[in-house]
Amino acid sequence: MINLLITIFAPVLGGFVFGIERIIKARMQSRIGPPVLQPFYDFFKLMDKRAYIIHSLHALMGIMYFIAEWFTLAVLLLGNDLLIAVFFHVIAVLALVIGASSVRSPYSVLGGLRELMHMISYEPLMVLMAVSFYLITGSFDIKTILSFNGYPIFQMPLVFFAFLLVIPMMLQKSPFDIAEAHQEIIGGPEIEYSGPFYEAVYTGKWIEYIYVFTFVFLFGGNHYWLGILLVIFTFIFVNLLDNSTARLDYRKMVKFSWFVLIPLAVLNIILIAMWR
Amino acid sequence: MASFVILNILIPWIFALCVYFFKKDIITNFLSFLLLPILAFLSFKIFYGNLPIYIHTSKFFDILMDIYDFGLLFFFLYVGIKHKNAYVTSLALLQITLLIIVLSILPSSSTANIYVDKLASFIYIIVALVGTPIIIYATKYMDYNEKNKHKFVAILLWFLGVMNFAVSVNNIEWFFALFETTTLASYALISFRKDKEAVNNGLLALWMNQIGGVAILIALMLMVKQNGYYYFTDILNHPKNVAIAALGFLSLSALVKGAQMPFQNWLLGAMVAPTPVSAILHSATMVKIAPYLILRIAPVIHNTLLAKLLIITTGFVFVSAAVIALTQDNFKRILAYSTISLLGLMMLTAAVGTPIAITASLILILFHAFAKGFLFIEAGILEKAFHVKYITQMKRLIEKAPLTMMFIFFGFLNMTFVPFGAFVGKWMMIEEASNFLTHGSYILLIVFVGAGSAFLSILYMKVLGISVRKAHGIENIKFIHLPKTFNFISFWYYLFLLSMAIFIAPLISNFIVSIAKHLTNYHINIYSSNLSLTINNSTLYFWQILGALIILTLIHILPYFVKFKADFVQPYNCGENHPKYLGTWDFECIKKYEPFLMAFSIALFIITVVLGGGLL
Repeated sequence: MINLLITIFAPVLGGFVFGIERIIKARMQSRIGPPVLQPFYDFFKLMDKRAYIIHSLHALMGIMYFIAEWFTLAVLLLGNDLLIAVFFHVIAVLALVIGASSVRSPYSVLGGLRELMHMISYEPLMVLMAVSFYLITGSFDIKTILSFNGYPIFQMPLVFFAFLLVIPMMLQKSPFDIAEAHQEIIGGPEIEYSGPFYEAVYTGKWIEYIYVFTFVFLFGGNHYWLGILLVIFTFIFVNLLDNSTARLDYRKMVKFSWFVLIPLAVLNIILIAMWR
Repeated sequence: MASFVILNILIPWIFALCVYFFKKDIITNFLSFLLLPILAFLSFKIFYGNLPIYIHTSKFFDILMDIYDFGLLFFFLYVGIKHKNAYVTSLALLQITLLIIVLSILPSSSTANIYVDKLASFIYIIVALVGTPIIIYATKYMDYNEKNKHKFVAILLWFLGVMNFAVSVNNIEWFFALFETTTLASYALISFRKDKEAVNNGLLALWMNQIGGVAILIALMLMVKQNGYYYFTDILNHPKNVAIAALGFLSLSALVKGAQMPFQNWLLGAMVAPTPVSAILHSATMVKIAPYLILRIAPVIHNTLLAKLLIITTGFVFVSAAVIALTQDNFKRILAYSTISLLGLMMLTAAVGTPIAITASLILILFHAFAKGFLFIEAGILEKAFHVKYITQMKRLIEKAPLTMMFIFFGFLNMTFVPFGAFVGKWMMIEEASNFLTHGSYILLIVFVGAGSAFLSILYMKVLGISVRKAHGIENIKFIHLPKTFNFISFWYYLFLLSMAIFIAPLISNFIVSIAKHLTNYHINIYSSNLSLTINNSTLYFWQILGALIILTLIHILPYFVKFKADFVQPYNCGENHPKYLGTWDFECIKKYEPFLMAFSIALFIITVVLGGGLL
């Protein structure tokens, strides 16, 4: 039931998370920051704006990105397989990339291509994470994992660590905000969207927050307090990282993911498999 | 039922002879259209008939086959001498020597020479439903300033018969003959245009595949020496005391036939031939022998060191072929690399050998055949009707060739996305492998499958990205009139792929699982209810299948229909002039790793044969 509610209200929830994040970020920089409801004010403002579009295909892909992202979350929360949810996420990336490369703007095209680099950095690790959940709890089912009487975080600390550093890649946070790179390619895939269509992409990104933090929550098993604690910790850690680091090159991101994070996760899986 | 099997092999040959001798358009077109219902009927009749079928042949056919073997090898020798190719010549001589040794020690046996089980009839179905449409397509394709249309169609028809024959033989010595016949067919087809490049690539295919033939002969020698039998059924019935080295050599020949690195060049060279050749080599015939052979011996090599090393080798190819594909800019070459990559995945799943893994392998074979046949046919249409060969020429394709672009989009979606077959295969494999992560190769398998599928996804998205690029909306779509044959074949594949995706759960649980059950004799925990697919405890719900299908359908069809009422602007370009042309990444930085990947794959190859085969 609560899964269904979270799925339905994901955009609203994501908006709140986004609002809180902006405040936390501002406080870290000794600013007051916008009110919590600022994303929603933005929402209404953007919906009211006159829509400028490049062409219909591009605008449509913005909407498809939002739908695909929402549907992916539904698959994660209402389905019974983590792995399918991981593979579903590729559909959202497809919509974003097709949209980004459909316009003749260097910024957008470059952003779309960099989005692909993001994908090869986090996708294999998500698969490994799903597998290690299976090894510990005996199921890919999110409900079984959430009723698992144990502490997955203590059995897969390296996977958690790897995932912690992959989150900036998924949520476009510094040092891995390479596809968006505001100072460099001005938002990348989202630069050419405006008005309601931009809002669709923007809301899609809110839903991505819920998607990612659901995975973090799973690390607590049936100890929900631990799950919530982990989510809060991750949230603050990612923002701290975002505020304190400079952007890296995309090559460094891919290398970091492939030569540091994935081996760590594999090592963890080997240890779990031997322990059983 | 035995007569059906024989008809299934002979009818394509008879048709090929008719086409070759009459050389009349109307006969060629009529026969190729007629072959589709005939082969479809026969193959389904065999599949749902009483299986397995054993056909005993008289001694006469054995002698005939030996004579044919020598004829074939001497022809190879002739080709080698004629074109002054040392590889072909020496390998042909080596094969002749080995064949003489094999024939001198071969004991007589009473086992049936032809053995048709569900796996063989599954390949019949693929040949009928995927291979025959390609021939129909070729009848039209060859009308676009190509020479020797009838000869070409005749070779293709003959090739289908050979493929049907190759998967139904039980005697490995016969299998060698058929294996080399497919080599001959690929040589004839690749060098069809007779120019210098075509002949060179044909010779390349010839000598590389001859290595596979040598491997089979060595396997035969070892088998006869150690066990005294040389039949697939005998191997399967006595799994305990089979010479593992022989199986190692058999899988070596599979790897060569499946164009696994470092032998990938012959398949890449096939693109100089007319496109139907690529279509038929990549989808229904030839390379499918590779996973077929591994599936045949899968129950025996299950859980041996050989299987584990095969997993590592093919998994490595799965990833590295996908990586190298990123650096290519020829559309057909990209498709070829993705075939090599996915063949690696098929053999990997087959080598794992558990019932669910075998199911995954069969799913991949079926869906890959349809999707790759489809994509190559569209590539041929692009080449002939729109003169597009390179992905740099694919810009604005969505406007220039809307229908073809839509089909290519759909074909690519089939190769990697939820809920299509390729995804289901990978998903099943990861879930299955998670149950027995006791060996390093199985953990590597998960990394390989996860990484390879990510690389293939970005490859397809990169290609799609460049073809949808547009400065303005798709206002002036020009529907170029395409020949009816092309449209018929395109829709044939499109509708098949679409309906297979919707009904994927019953398709797998009724059709494919029955084959896997037949192969392994185990109960397989895959079932479907209300179009949802359940594997062990995980379910791919129908609402997920339908949702993904709707989203993907909207993404690839809707752009042609949706027109938003909004103000149109130019893209933001920071005040600079708009670039005339925007390319895509060519991944030049990866190219320098290619020699390392090749070296590594050679090392893995040797390790597989030497260690896996227990030669040390």
